[in-house]
Amino acid sequence: MAARALGWLAVLALIAGLGAAFGWAPREAAQGNVQRIMYLHVPSVLTAYLAFLLVFVGSVGYLLTRRPGWDRLALSAAEPGVLFTGITIASGSIWGKPTWGTWWTWDARLTSTAVLFLVYVGYLLLRGMVDEPDRRARAAAVVGILGAANIPIVHFSVTWWRALHQPAAILGPGSAPMPLWMKVVLALNWLAFTLLFAYFLTRRIEIARIEESHAG
Amino acid sequence: MPDNWGYVFSAYGLAAVVLLAYWRRLAGRAKSLAGRGGRQGP
Repeated sequence: MAARALGWLAVLALIAGLGAAFGWAPREAAQGNVQRIMYLHVPSVLTAYLAFLLVFVGSVGYLLTRRPGWDRLALSAAEPGVLFTGITIASGSIWGKPTWGTWWTWDARLTSTAVLFLVYVGYLLLRGMVDEPDRRARAAAVVGILGAANIPIVHFSVTWWRALHQPAAILGPGSAPMPLWMKVVLALNWLAFTLLFAYFLTRRIEIARIEESHAG
Repeated sequence: MPDNWGYVFSAYGLAAVVLLAYWRRLAGRAKSLAGRGGRQGP
């Protein structure tokens, strides 16, 4: 019941975010309307960070306590995390073509994001390869902990190295160089994506719990 | 700079398809598990 309410809340927030991104946010002077991809691209990557942070928390929790609930949290956060990272890469690539003139370049931000994506795809593949639950959870937890080291590398890559990618729009050093309305619309879409992630996470944890009870 | 609406709609459309597909996958999995649980009952 709570998951259903969360789902509807996420849908309403997504509709509001979409309406704001296309109707309320001003047209960007230099890039034109293609800049509206930012309201999808930035919330996606921030949601992916949150998801992988929870994978880290779940992984540490499992290694310390051996309680299956921590492993369920890690697994259930990893799936949508991969999804949101995939959306980040795809939307960034689509945004890059008209603004940079290329779909892809081996820039520090893009490369580190691709590595982040592959690490967590590997995490999910690894889980599918080991049958014994404790061994699977332990192996996955190690990858979940090591993989999280890539999150600050992705985020600060634009500060640490010379990159084609623009500086962090949010959660970066200094304030974001954009008008207040753009920040408000960005925050609204971030909230919508976070609610959607919370919905996916709740449903996935419940499914994992039922699967375990059937297996046991 | 031209507005490139095609790129904008492609990005949002792709994201919508991916998120809807995952939502459907979760819903389908939950439904099949509920069915399995029901069959196990007395």
